[in-house]
Amino acid sequence: MLGSLLTLVFVLVFNFFLFRVVQTDPIGSLFRGRNVPAATLDNLRSAFGLDQSLGAQFLYYLRETAQLNFGISYQSRQPVWDEIVAAIPATVALVGISAILSAVIGTIGGVVAAWRRNTWKDHTITSGTMVFYSMPDFWLGMILLVGFAVVLGWFPVGGMVSAGSNATGLARLFDQLHHMFLPALTLTLAYLGEYTLVTRSSLLDVMGEDYLTVARAKGLRDVVVRNRHAVPNALLPVVTLTAINFGFVLSGAIAVEAVFSWPGLGKATADAIRGPDLPMLQGLFLLFSTAVIVFNLLADLTYSWLDPRVEEA
Amino acid sequence: MTSIAMKRRRATAGRVWKEFRDSREGMIGLAVLAVFVLLALAAPLLADLRELNPVFARAQGNPQWGSPGEFGPLGTDHIRRSVWAQFVWGSRVSLFVGLAATLLTILIGSVTGIVSGFVGGKADGALMRVTEWFLVIPFLPLAIVLASVLGRSVWNIIFVIGVTSWPSTARLVRAQVLTVKQRLFVDRARSLGASGPHIVAHHILPNVSGLILANATLAVPISILTETTLAFLGLGDPSRASWGKTLEEAFVNGAMVRNAWWYFLPAGLGILAVVLAFTMIGRTLEQIANPRLSRSR
Amino acid sequence: MTEPLLTVRDLTITYHGHGGSVPAVRGVSFDIEKGGSLGLAGESGCGKSTLANSLLRLLPAGTEVSGEIILGGQDVLSLSPGGLRAVRWTSGAIIFQGALHALNPVQTVGDQIAEPMLVHETTPSQTAAGDRAIELLRRVGLPAARADSYPHQLSGGQRQRVLIAMALACDPHLLIADEPTTALDLMVQAQVLALLDDLKQERDLTLLFITHDLSVLTYACQRLAVMYAGRIVEQGPSWEVFANPSHPYTRALAAAFPTIGDTASRMAPSGLGGDPPTPGSLPEGCPFHPRCPLAEEGCLVSEPELRSSGVERSAACILV
Repeated sequence: MLGSLLTLVFVLVFNFFLFRVVQTDPIGSLFRGRNVPAATLDNLRSAFGLDQSLGAQFLYYLRETAQLNFGISYQSRQPVWDEIVAAIPATVALVGISAILSAVIGTIGGVVAAWRRNTWKDHTITSGTMVFYSMPDFWLGMILLVGFAVVLGWFPVGGMVSAGSNATGLARLFDQLHHMFLPALTLTLAYLGEYTLVTRSSLLDVMGEDYLTVARAKGLRDVVVRNRHAVPNALLPVVTLTAINFGFVLSGAIAVEAVFSWPGLGKATADAIRGPDLPMLQGLFLLFSTAVIVFNLLADLTYSWLDPRVEEA
Repeated sequence: MTSIAMKRRRATAGRVWKEFRDSREGMIGLAVLAVFVLLALAAPLLADLRELNPVFARAQGNPQWGSPGEFGPLGTDHIRRSVWAQFVWGSRVSLFVGLAATLLTILIGSVTGIVSGFVGGKADGALMRVTEWFLVIPFLPLAIVLASVLGRSVWNIIFVIGVTSWPSTARLVRAQVLTVKQRLFVDRARSLGASGPHIVAHHILPNVSGLILANATLAVPISILTETTLAFLGLGDPSRASWGKTLEEAFVNGAMVRNAWWYFLPAGLGILAVVLAFTMIGRTLEQIANPRLSRSR
Repeated sequence: MTEPLLTVRDLTITYHGHGGSVPAVRGVSFDIEKGGSLGLAGESGCGKSTLANSLLRLLPAGTEVSGEIILGGQDVLSLSPGGLRAVRWTSGAIIFQGALHALNPVQTVGDQIAEPMLVHETTPSQTAAGDRAIELLRRVGLPAARADSYPHQLSGGQRQRVLIAMALACDPHLLIADEPTTALDLMVQAQVLALLDDLKQERDLTLLFITHDLSVLTYACQRLAVMYAGRIVEQGPSWEVFANPSHPYTRALAAAFPTIGDTASRMAPSGLGGDPPTPGSLPEGCPFHPRCPLAEEGCLVSEPELRSSGVERSAACILV
């Protein structure tokens, strides 16, 4: 717990100093190309405390961060926090669903591959997932996009809703799901390999254990031995992996969102890079890091709750 | 190094090679890698560097968005440049960055891990805290932030990847060093009066190098994929062709909408092949370094 | 005379793996009368655990098993999968060795004892199974509260008792104890042995006791068989075989272990040099001859068969 807090502090400090290195004149950058009198700029600078010492600026930064004030986006001129909040739901929906699907499908694949080790099932599953895991996720997205949206026309080419649509309720939901299908498929395929590999490895380790022979000796069917005794023991590392991966939900789809123009945090990041819209990048980075820290903590707690052998961290 | 030690080293290397040769997975990986290394090295022979220059390409009368049928072997892009030339010359940057960044990662990670594990105590505690911190920070955003701040060049990318990837190597190496440290012969060497650096060089390193090599080989795919992603997002070196940059340009200039598959398919396939090759080699080396793993394969 | 509860004839078990074929058990035959007890002794690698596991067909897939195993009138080797599952734990149950690994780490001890009852439907309900599990725990000397413990929370001796309780869950006719006292300290060993003896009397169990410690078998079993390199090299009434061995290997084995309670023997154990042979590469002729103090030329020629060495005794040695 304390470790996590300390890490959070590190992140805040790092975030501040890194961007200070580059943002030599944030106000000037913000209004670059606009015809603003110098006096106004100076007033703004002192309003934001930019004419003060580094220490004072850091305190100012901490205070503003606590109040969720991350500054103004260079590109949109809107508050960074507002932009971020607007983009969160799209990412959570896309990456959340993909994370669940890849965890479930990947784990099942890993269980089958391990239980039927060295058969064609195992080889297909293991090789297949390894291939998907070895390609750039956004490239897979590009291929799926061209294949299914451009050539076959079954899916839209981008965005979250059809342009100019004012559908509401269920119709709107279906439209969004229709748009979400390809990016979700991309993310699921790209990342299920991790789950397959870990589950397979873990289950293979468990399969060598004596208590499985004991379970068979008691007269249990093979499937029951697998599902009731082998898999629960094999799942412990998978659960940890899942919990940790959920922490990366927010930052997990930067390039893929860009390919599909999915209006989430990933696309916001990709757009901010092109600026470079430093306040946006700073705010996004802070959000991403915090999410990971929080979920890592949850992962630790979940693991110690699930495995009776582990003492509370 | 004494001749006995050298003989032993050669024997170990020979044994490793022989085991490696027996692995079909490893040999396929090695073969594929060899093909691409040769491709990268032979770039000047395979494609004219001038083809990457849009002015030259226009002067040559290349078609725009030419398919492979119109202009072989891989067609042209939106500004008439040969895609084949981009593929061949891009392989150099992708491989180079992948290897160099991994080298940096392994260097930082190994040194940290060895020092941390061997010295122990407060230094260990402090280094591990730093390592944990790096591990928790989401890798790609950190890379993006650093790359944005530092500017777009090949060396910066190498630095960024190296600096963000070292923690897992450090943890692995440290664990191995701790295991080795517990073995008797280190104590014996100490009681014989051997100094710290001597022990590290002659006892710790040889027992850790196998693990480091396997880890390095598995780290290259991560470096390559990261470089690709960073280039795709616009953080690559604008003056050099790389596979990631090809993908970026394809995307930004609408290759997908036009179904100009020849533009983005080859670069991605190249990445896939090289990453798979390194993964297969790495898995084989891992199995050789740690035979216990073959039970779980 | 009634039929024996367990009859094993010419049992041969060969593992097939990456390294080739390994003959773990080579033509073993024995009987155990109902209510009787047989001890099986030998060093690691002699095939005794393989044999124990084979009785309920628990060997890995692909293992070649030939011969005959008749348990309670049924031919185990030719049972259908359903029939086999019905026989397991009800006709015969195994007390496994290495208690920590034989128990599922994430399941309570009580649940693990109750599980076979639910599988074989020997109790009317889940609650009844849970109650019976507690009853069994008490019988083996553990408090009822232990039912909610996890294996790692128990000591080695307690875990062994749990395995005994678990083996009794479905009232088996045959109890196979595979090294139940190995890795326990002597005090606990004696307690576990006493418990097994009590239970055997109480429930009229038939016992197959496997161990590498010959002296334990003289207390626990009526008859004993000594295994070496996958075959039985001597068998007979346990006290007689221990006190007056016919086979040189048995002699060495008996001398190697101090007798419980006999302090003099603890001071002067005599070990047997060398290692047991690797099952895949056995020596010519009698597999014991490289380590045998009485080996002579004839021992290299062929592997000796079991021949009578006394009343209801036999040994596989040309010197008998």
